[in-house]
Amino acid sequence: MSKIRKNYDTSFRTRFRRYILGETELPEVDYMPMYKKQIAEEKAEDERATEHYLMPPEVDPMEDAKRYAELSGMRWFRRLYGVMALLLCVAISGLLIYNVAFMPEFGSADTAMTNEVTERYIEKGQEETGVVNTVTGVILQYRGFDTFGETHVLFLATIAVMILLKRRKDEEPVRMDGENPGGDRILRTMAHFMVPLIFLFGLYILVNGHLSPGGGFSGGAVLGAGLILYSASFGFTATARFFNERIYDIVKVGSLMLYSLLIIYYLFTGANGIDSIVPLGKAGAIISSGLILPINILVGFEVACTMYAFFALFRKGGL
Amino acid sequence: MGEWIRFGFAAFLILCGLLAAGIAAFGLFKFRFALNRMHAAAMCDTLAILLVLSGLIVLSGFNFDSLKLFLIILLLWCASPVASHLLANLEVTVSPKLKDNCEILTDDGKEEEKV
Amino acid sequence: MSLSQAYNILFGGAVGVLVLIMLCVLIRAVRGPEIVDRIVAVNMLGTLTIMIICILSLWLKQGYLLDVAIIYAMISFLAVVILTRIYLGVYHERMLKKEEERRG
Repeated sequence: MSKIRKNYDTSFRTRFRRYILGETELPEVDYMPMYKKQIAEEKAEDERATEHYLMPPEVDPMEDAKRYAELSGMRWFRRLYGVMALLLCVAISGLLIYNVAFMPEFGSADTAMTNEVTERYIEKGQEETGVVNTVTGVILQYRGFDTFGETHVLFLATIAVMILLKRRKDEEPVRMDGENPGGDRILRTMAHFMVPLIFLFGLYILVNGHLSPGGGFSGGAVLGAGLILYSASFGFTATARFFNERIYDIVKVGSLMLYSLLIIYYLFTGANGIDSIVPLGKAGAIISSGLILPINILVGFEVACTMYAFFALFRKGGL
Repeated sequence: MGEWIRFGFAAFLILCGLLAAGIAAFGLFKFRFALNRMHAAAMCDTLAILLVLSGLIVLSGFNFDSLKLFLIILLLWCASPVASHLLANLEVTVSPKLKDNCEILTDDGKEEEKV
Repeated sequence: MSLSQAYNILFGGAVGVLVLIMLCVLIRAVRGPEIVDRIVAVNMLGTLTIMIICILSLWLKQGYLLDVAIIYAMISFLAVVILTRIYLGVYHERMLKKEEERRG
């Protein structure tokens, strides 16, 4: 049986939660019946004294209730809360720093990290995957199934945020300061220079993912940052000229499906011991290492779409 | 000997940069008003990073790394003044006691009358 | 004293001083009475982090760390832009609501 709102407000759980969160703004419920009764009696007395004219009450009941709540331990609880939070932070960071002392020296031979798996990755990785940057080879090929799941988690996260935050068409739009034309000229002038630079750098990270540190996730994050900067400085209407909801859907779903197809091909050939028809090429060249380059680019598009969608949904509730 | 001269020059630049960053951090605590504090912090964003990174450029010589360091300087010199402008804009819009701390001029350069 | 020792002293000392400055700035970020102080302090923390990354990349002779520094510069600028934009938007919204309440 569902509770009506009034019952919910008066329930012990809500009051306790409000107490813990330190919300001083108390709901207008039977919070302190005795206290309210007293105020009501005083008010009635006042009314009786003036009889024909209702004087404005000298004591605001909400104000008084706030003071009452603060006197009854809320203030002390808050101070204690701050002190305990600080202690917890210091304790955890101290523990972590203490643990660093037990870590093996950087690059020493007798650590748990240098087992046969790592040896295999380092010795055979470049030969088997054609990737110079071993990390990319590991996350996209040896552990490709893992990354496949992670990318789907990103997709699901966007869908969940969309369900929660997307505004209906009949709701009033959010007022945004960046939207008015002639808003911030200095920022726009700067964005003219910065946004292409950021996009270029993101593409460099994406395309170089198998040669240098980086790859799909970080490159996609930089691309998304460029999109966010563009929409923050020129407004959402300007962004919608080249990146509206339809294009967003096509890019996001299309790149995810293509990625799924490629990774399924990889898994199928790998599991059955079939040689892939895609040549690995010369290690170190831009176009090499088989399907890793397209997979990196697709993952990058996916991440960029996710970042921009989060920003747009939280900011204005739609793309 | 040449290496030592280069090291000495780079160390001088880096120490100057550290000094600038330290002064900026000191300014964050010295000033009373938020716009003054912002001015001090903006110095760290430009002067300190220029000095430290040019010291590093001197150390690394002329190669791809020094090009990237130069790119970082360029990027920060473009970006951080804009960031300071945005922050000042926010402060001027939001701050309720702006008139107590600074005098506001109209477009003609005359002081605005106190309301 | 050899040259490599001198390099170690210079880089280690610089990183140590920068970490101390960062701790000072962190205090301002936590204490800062107004939102602008906090954003300024966080921005300055980002700049100091960029310096530390650059010094480390030369110290450890790992050139790719400079890519991280470039991304850091971009993202910290982006953070300031977004925070100021959102806070201004929230402020205008609040002012509008107050205006409507006053009118009744």
